[in-house]
Amino acid sequence: MMMYFVFVLSIMFVVSFVGVSSKPSPIYGGFGLIVGGGVGCGIVLSFGGSFLGLMVFLIYLGGMLVVFGYTTAMATEQYPEVWVSNKVVLGGFLLGLVVEFLMMAYVLEGGEVEVVSGFNGLGDWVVCDVGDSGFSGGEAEGVAALYSYGAWLMVVMGWSLFIGVVVIMEITRGS
Amino acid sequence: MNPFISIITFTTLILSTTIVVISSHWLFAWVGFEMNMMAIIPIMMKNFNPRTTEASTKYFLTQATASALLMMAIMINLSHSGQWTITKLFNPTASMLVTIALAIKLGLSPFHFWVPEVTQGIPLSTGLVLLTWQKIAPLSILYQISPSINMNLMLTMSLLSILIGGWGGLNQTQLRKIMAYSSIAHMGWMTTILPYNTTMTLLNLLIYVTMTFTMFMLFIQNSTTTTLSLSQTWNKTPITTTLTMLTLLSMGGLPPLSGFIPKWMIIQELTKNETLIMPTFMATTALLNLYFYMRLTYSTALTLFPSTNNMKMKWQFYPTKRMTLLPTAIVMSTMLLPLTPMLSTLL
Repeated sequence: MMMYFVFVLSIMFVVSFVGVSSKPSPIYGGFGLIVGGGVGCGIVLSFGGSFLGLMVFLIYLGGMLVVFGYTTAMATEQYPEVWVSNKVVLGGFLLGLVVEFLMMAYVLEGGEVEVVSGFNGLGDWVVCDVGDSGFSGGEAEGVAALYSYGAWLMVVMGWSLFIGVVVIMEITRGS
Repeated sequence: MNPFISIITFTTLILSTTIVVISSHWLFAWVGFEMNMMAIIPIMMKNFNPRTTEASTKYFLTQATASALLMMAIMINLSHSGQWTITKLFNPTASMLVTIALAIKLGLSPFHFWVPEVTQGIPLSTGLVLLTWQKIAPLSILYQISPSINMNLMLTMSLLSILIGGWGGLNQTQLRKIMAYSSIAHMGWMTTILPYNTTMTLLNLLIYVTMTFTMFMLFIQNSTTTTLSLSQTWNKTPITTTLTMLTLLSMGGLPPLSGFIPKWMIIQELTKNETLIMPTFMATTALLNLYFYMRLTYSTALTLFPSTNNMKMKWQFYPTKRMTLLPTAIVMSTMLLPLTPMLSTLL
């Protein structure tokens, strides 16, 4: 049963990328890419990476859809509304910012959050137990590790995604 | 280009190469390569026209292919050994794939076709970045994996690069294409010596970067992209014309000039390793390189091409571009030979 699943998904995977490379119009290329990404997540899911598959589906595809939609919207609407062009919107934005900073201050003052695997300094080895004795599954612990001692990895990844969007904007906006 | 975009892309360009050079983890090296590729594209498309778009697209496609290949090699190595250390590349298949991926990134011979095409399509200053700074990251990875590189593969690609780099530049009139082929040939020299003595690779890279920087600065100063327009610089800045000739001969590797250092030391190192046919072949094919450099020196400094009369009046105008680093660069790319012991100690 699982074999059939992966087989069918693989066929769809390849078909979607064939669709990308032979697109009639760029927007369908983006569509094919999204389908391919979703099917790829399905393949990862079938091989047992349930958390990873779900995460990639939500973030990669969600992000891609957002960027795709955003750029398409930018292309159609050349002078979009901004926050400072409407007082009510600006007031709501500032209020939201104030509330968020208050929340952050409360959390920062109120005591530290305990994590499953602690560490001292960036140079230490972190042993993430993946076994029956742990409180959480290996995948969740991997995510925790990514955010704790892999913080700089996250910074670099975030920067490279940012630079990707900047480059796309720069080269498609023309002179 | 917009100053904000310019700052972001140039910072990322420097940052990405630094990441590749200092990282010991394959994933970070790969991330550095990807950032590098993304950051150079807006710099290539400084002038928006179809030619730069084509060049950037070609560059993007080849580099993306190389990155995907690199990732696959990393995965193969990971699944066989369970670690991500760059220097521990023990799987032969993974090692070959990494070598091929980095050869695509460097523009070594069976994968060299993008180098002249891309260099010809972009502005001179970007060409300078592409042919110097962009070589550092792949060479640093090759330097780190040099003990586990497949020697037959590496030497085949290197010797082919030297041959093609000399051969392809023969009938060119476009300066950027000539520089691209010269870059291919120099990359061939660097990677030939890589399995034997990595220090020589660094030495060759240093000299190559200095000479290419000088050549591109001279081109930028005269705003020349063809042999013909370079041949009409004699009435503008005669001393620069002479120095262009000297720099070109240095690139060709003539003895009293800086370009002779890497050739001399590489040939010596290969001879010490008891390979005689290979250095003979390399020196012979480097003559092809020398030939087209000499054609350039001939048309630049040794003859007066026919020109219209008002071309001869150019001397009375002051140059508009001031190249602060140019004298230093010219001196470094022509007169470093007496400092060879210092260079080989430093590296």
